[in-house]
Formats: sequence, C-alpha cells, structure tokens
Amino acid sequence: MLFRLENLVHQYSDGTIALDNVSLSFETGDRIALLGTNGSGKTTLLNHLNGILKPTSGQIYYQDQPLKYDSKSLLQLRRRVGFVFQDPNDQLFAPTVKQDVAFGPLNLGQPPEQVKKVVDDALETVGMLEFKEKPPHFLSLGQKKRVALAGVLAMEPEVIIMDEPTSNLDPRATSDILHLLLRLNKEKRITLLLATHDVDMVPLFANKLYILSKGKLVSEGAPKDLFSDAELIRKVNLRAPRLTHLFEVLKKEDNLPIDEKLPLTIGEARKEILQLLGTTKSEK
Amino acid sequence: MSHQHDLSGEIDRYAYTNGLAKNSPTTKIFFALSSLIISGSSPTPIIPIIIFIINTILLLSIAKIPAKFYFHLLEYPTLAVILSVLIIALFFGFGETIAQISLPWFTWSIYQNGITMAITTFFRVEGAITCTFFLVLTTSMTDLFVTLRKIKIPKVVIELSLLIYRYIFVFMEVSSKMNTAQSLRLGHSSAMRRIRSLALLAGNLFIRTLEQGERTFTAMSARGYDGNIMLLEELPSPKKSAIIAIVLFDVVFAVVIFLLLYFGVV
Repeated sequence: MLFRLENLVHQYSDGTIALDNVSLSFETGDRIALLGTNGSGKTTLLNHLNGILKPTSGQIYYQDQPLKYDSKSLLQLRRRVGFVFQDPNDQLFAPTVKQDVAFGPLNLGQPPEQVKKVVDDALETVGMLEFKEKPPHFLSLGQKKRVALAGVLAMEPEVIIMDEPTSNLDPRATSDILHLLLRLNKEKRITLLLATHDVDMVPLFANKLYILSKGKLVSEGAPKDLFSDAELIRKVNLRAPRLTHLFEVLKKEDNLPIDEKLPLTIGEARKEILQLLGTTKSEK
Repeated sequence: MSHQHDLSGEIDRYAYTNGLAKNSPTTKIFFALSSLIISGSSPTPIIPIIIFIINTILLLSIAKIPAKFYFHLLEYPTLAVILSVLIIALFFGFGETIAQISLPWFTWSIYQNGITMAITTFFRVEGAITCTFFLVLTTSMTDLFVTLRKIKIPKVVIELSLLIYRYIFVFMEVSSKMNTAQSLRLGHSSAMRRIRSLALLAGNLFIRTLEQGERTFTAMSARGYDGNIMLLEELPSPKKSAIIAIVLFDVVFAVVIFLLLYFGVV
C-alpha cells in the first residue's frame, strides 16, 4: 500500500473535530477524488498526508512506514508527496516563476545546474516555459495554478495532492489542468489525490472516490457505484453529475429501461442513449 | 489611489521587459550609483544636465521606455524639487543681493548666490533622479535581490524584501477589491464614511496579512522550507568593456569636478 490511514482523528485547538476516525488506503498509480461539501474535512485530511498537520490520534503509513515528524523525515516525505494549494497566491512567493519552481529542488540540496534543468522540464511539462522570467503577478489564475503545479513537479514526487485544483478556473483552464494531471498519472505513474466539490469533474479522472461528510469517511469505491446511489449522495449534501441525474430521472419518472449503474460521462451516456434508441426501434 | 497603483505596476512591468533587462544588473547598478554620486556632488549644473541627458537617451532609445511614460514619471519628483528649490532661492544666500523688500519687522533680501545655489540644486537633484529612474526602470527586483545577495547583504534583509515585494502585489489587489466593494455599498458617500471605510479596510488588511503569512509558511514548508530561502543565481555577468567604459565616464566627470573646485571656477 502506498498510503494507509488508520483511525485518523484530528481535533483543532478550538475543540472542533475535523476528522473522526478516518481509515483509508490507496495504491501507487491510483487517481483518487476526495469529495465533500465545504467544511467536511477534506483540506484537513490532505494536510495530514505530507505532515503539515499531525493527527490527534491514529496512524498514517507511507509505503508501510509510519510517518515521522522530525525535520529530516518530513523533508523526505515532502519530496515524495507534493502538495498544490488551492490558492496559488499562497504558494507562489518568489519574485519570478523560475525562482519559485526552483525553490523545492534547491531545498532538497540539488546542485544549481541540475536545478536549472529540472525547472525547465517542469515548466515545459505544464506549458509555462515561456513565462519563466515573469513575476507571478503578471499571470492569470490558470497560469498561476500551472506554475504552482510545476513547483511541485520539480521535486519529482510520487504523489501529487491538489486541493480544489479547478476552483475558479474557466472551462478551458479546467480541462487543461485535468488533462495535464491525467498525463502525469499515465506517463510518470504519479498517484493523484484531488479534493474537490466539483462532482462533474470526478468521473473524468478518478478511478477511486472517497466521500467525506462532517469529518467522517461515509463511503468509498468506484465513482460509478457511488454516484448511482442517489440516496447516499443526497444525504451528504452533494449531487451526482448532471448527466447521471438526468438518467436517474429518466429511469425513475419515465420508467425507461436503464442499467442499474447510471452513466457518468458523455461517452457513457451516449452509449446508453444509442442502446435505448436501438431497443425502441426494434420494438416498433 | 488607483492611479498610483497603475504607476508602480507599470514601473515593475518595464523593469522586466525593457531593452536593457537582459544586461548584467551589476553593470546597471554600478552605472546608476556612480552617476548618482557624481550628479549629487557636482558644483555646477552642467554635469548633472549632461547626466540627465545621457540617462534620458539611454532610457528612451535603448531601454525603449515610452517617452510619455518617462516624462510623466518625472513630473512628480520635479514638482517636489521645484517647491524646495523655491525656498532656497528666496531665503538662502549671503553677500550680493539682487532684491530687497522692506517689511515692517525685517528686511527680506534675495541673494545672487541663493539663486545660483537653487539652480545648481535643481539640476543636481534632477540628474540624480534620472539615475534612480535608470535603475528602477531597467533592473527587475529579482535581479536586484540576486545581486544584493552576491555582495553579501544580510540574508534576512533580502528574504524580507523578497517576500514583501511579492505580496505587495497580492495585497494591492486585495485592497483595491475591498475598496471597490466598499464604494459599491456607498462606503465613500461622505467624508466621515470614507475615513471609517478606510479604517476598516486597513484593519481588515492587517488580519489578512497575518493569515496570508501563515498560509504561505505552510506552503513553503510543504516544499521543504527550512528557514532559508535559496535563490537560483543565474545572471548575465558584467561585460568587462562596459565596466571599463563606465569607470572612464566617471573618471572624466570626477576630474572635471576636481578641476572646477581646485581652480575655484565656481
């Protein structure tokens, strides 16, 4: 197992229990979506995975080793588990794009020549190489997000954690970021863990879905299974993707013969519709 | 307020995009500083005027700063200089007077050398201003930071300025948004309300900076920050010929100043 969380509890100093007995685990190469409403504990959970927060009780294992919190072990962990923050302004602190991306590798003690190469590679990967010398305040939000991702990529992580990777992005920037992440997952086998409340995005990338509500892990499984369970989704104040909802209505209200597992993406919906049309035609 | 915002943002933009942006910052700093000293210590207006002209030509034709922007930028300090120089002209000096006005309680004299001093001061300052403009318009803050580091300025100073520089722009945006939000809800509809709104904005901004500091620190820790900001030092090194040219340029002026003083021409 790449990551294993056992009975994780986190209580903030004001008494709020942000995580309540959460246990979960995932493998290298997984594409995981962590879904939950605002305040459900998503960010708190993510902050545990690279040692920003320490659990009040419970244990975290990375490659079967329990996390240690001395500075040396943390540096080791943070090299392997990259974290991209929700607001890129929190992350981009350096005066230029290049200096910002170089920050991580320099902290790892890599020699300048190697850092320069790694920085160029990372910026190339996210398509921001031409902005290398620009200060972050010249960039758009989508561009800043990509630079923030490059800053993490430059440390050559095994896992990338992103908090709300597509919040406030326009459709084009959203799809760019998603495709980029999928490519990294495919080509470099980087494990992805994205926290989001954008349900329409989940089926586009995730093979595994965790649903968090009020600090508890309420469900886990394949997106197709979880989203077909309308009851559960509603209980945690989320909704299924629009398409899935449409098919649910068609099935329930109009009694169309639709499969138990509702379609989540346009591709699946198309297949389902063609099938339905086929059956109605043959019935005529 | 929004106007000033534009101006500093513009300066920053030119610092990264001007025709001299790719040249060695060491050379540029050396040139700006040495000509600043010469301009400031010249006993005659001639030398600062020459420096003014040289800097203006460099900025407009080589760095390609738009003339309109450059002269607009010059307006602000020039206005301040004119005011101070007026005081010198009207109240300083001794010896030969050119005008005397008898007032009931004292005689107000305007002296010939007071006027001369005012004129010299005016050009000295104007020359010096173009030197600093040369530096800020051609050299980006990033290059300055790396150069300062090279000449062993304490790390704390550089790291602080680096973070301040970055977050000035973040908070400028935040405050301008808050300002708009306030005015949309009529927060600026009377003088008292305007003061109140400003106080609220300032207070809020302070809290925001605290929060931002915490979040930035977390984000930096996540990338292995250990109390030490390292920079990638990758600057064009100064061309020997450029440095020699600047030294010669400086020496010529220094000799002229020395001769002027020695032979008491002024």
